[in-house]
Amino acid sequence: MVVPLLVKDLRKDYLVKGKVTSALRGLSLTALRPMILSILGRNGSGKTTFVKIATGQLIPGSGIVEIFGHNVISSPASVKGIVSLVPQECRPWGHMTPWEHIYHYQRILGNSREGAKDRVQFISEMLHIGSFMDTEAVNLSGGQRQLIVVGMSLSAEADIYFLDEPTIGLDVITRKNVWEGIRYFRKLGKTIVLTTHYLDEASALSDEIAVVSEGRLLAQGTLQQLQNMLDYNTRIRIPAGFAKGSLEPYGKVVSDSQYEILYTDEKKVEEIILSAGLLKTRIEIGPVGLDDVFISLVGGGIED
Amino acid sequence: MKTSIIRDIRAWQSFTMLNGLIPIFRRPLALVALLSTPLSFLFFVDIFSHGTQLLVGSIGGLIFTVINAATMLQSDLLFGKIDLKFQQMIATTGISPLVYVMGMATGDIVFILPGAIFFLAVIVYLTPVTILDVALIIFAAFLTWVFFSLFSYMISRKVREMREIWPISVIFGIVFAVIPPIYYSLSSIPPPVQYFAYLVPTTFAALIIKDAVANSLASLPVPLLVYFVETVLMVIFATRISDWRQQTI
Repeated sequence: MVVPLLVKDLRKDYLVKGKVTSALRGLSLTALRPMILSILGRNGSGKTTFVKIATGQLIPGSGIVEIFGHNVISSPASVKGIVSLVPQECRPWGHMTPWEHIYHYQRILGNSREGAKDRVQFISEMLHIGSFMDTEAVNLSGGQRQLIVVGMSLSAEADIYFLDEPTIGLDVITRKNVWEGIRYFRKLGKTIVLTTHYLDEASALSDEIAVVSEGRLLAQGTLQQLQNMLDYNTRIRIPAGFAKGSLEPYGKVVSDSQYEILYTDEKKVEEIILSAGLLKTRIEIGPVGLDDVFISLVGGGIED
Repeated sequence: MKTSIIRDIRAWQSFTMLNGLIPIFRRPLALVALLSTPLSFLFFVDIFSHGTQLLVGSIGGLIFTVINAATMLQSDLLFGKIDLKFQQMIATTGISPLVYVMGMATGDIVFILPGAIFFLAVIVYLTPVTILDVALIIFAAFLTWVFFSLFSYMISRKVREMREIWPISVIFGIVFAVIPPIYYSLSSIPPPVQYFAYLVPTTFAALIIKDAVANSLASLPVPLLVYFVETVLMVIFATRISDWRQQTI
């Protein structure tokens, strides 16, 4: 079986005001079968640089990117048409309606007039955007505009979709409509590479999650595999200001502006509450989640 | 191959639609804006020459109008690349950059077409011309459109911020449509300066049109050949460097 995505030791440096800045420092990741692969990382971690290289817009310093066996670096034209993209922070044309955007994108892809119209109808129903299909984009909300670009990208009959923060600015219900669309394409056997800052989105959608930091892969696996990487299964949140030293014997303590977060074993919770003096303190106890994995791997909050 | 050609034609049509035919009816102000400068120049040339240079002013107006389309293309390409990120989406479709650029350029032609027809009509009204003369004028305008559209594409490849393109566009218009001898005769400037004028492609466009309307067909082949060769070289060069991929975005 041909591997949908193979990235090996990808490097990219930028020259900014005479100073070399490394955006990618040997990034390696894979989608070995059709899947939803989410890429998580803080701002400036190299996610968008990777997407630009993988979609044939940016020349890397070195490394390998193969999409369905095609070498994107040496032969970028070989992946055209099998790749589709929602760029980061993109916008539609203000003077055009969603219908026109998706229709003309289809025509650019080479579809016939009738085929393009059918595809517009399909996307309109899938993303639930029929109510504003004939409204000029300039008169739509930010979220509705974002949906136009998502609709354009998903209208392409590609094999792999790179969605660079596609749900940014969308309300909860609209986000879930997009999720529905992404899941639909996954069921069709497509591969979706999703970059996002929304950890709930990554948790809900992903077959695998890759965590990147400073241009390198820190970890990749299923949500369960990533959670298993932590030595602890329980998280206790204690308001900031609590004596950190009294928590340290029970596990790993991470501080942020609001909380002291103690990662520990579920079996020790009772003992901690009694011994560390947490009885009179408002605490939150729960299982570790993707955000904990992320903080543990990357350090700090995702939007720091 | 056939499929690729059909796809390119469909893409070209759509770029023209989204950059020309759709906005011209919804945002017609650009039409007026693009016409305003060449018409203002025509007005002043006519006033200061007491009507004797109206033909020259119209020839200049026609070339300036075509240059305006290329200037507008710079902003359009940059807007699609930096602001909308539309170019990033197109880059994944398999469409060549040149089909994208020329499709967008055709969209801009829609905006300048009324102006170009107006100036052509004035030229035809003021001087007896044959169909061949009109064909030569249109051909010179066509070469100007191709040459400067591709030149605009090269500029847009290098610019990384919308604000950078505004001064460039102003300078572009002055260097190629105001300073060279398109609103005045080449012979009215000193011979050493004329050599500098020959470095500007629009000089040849003006020479072709002026020769055509003056029925000076004997002197026509040289500027026609030079301008044609310059445009072909520009097409070859643009084709060679055209690539969606860049070192930096």
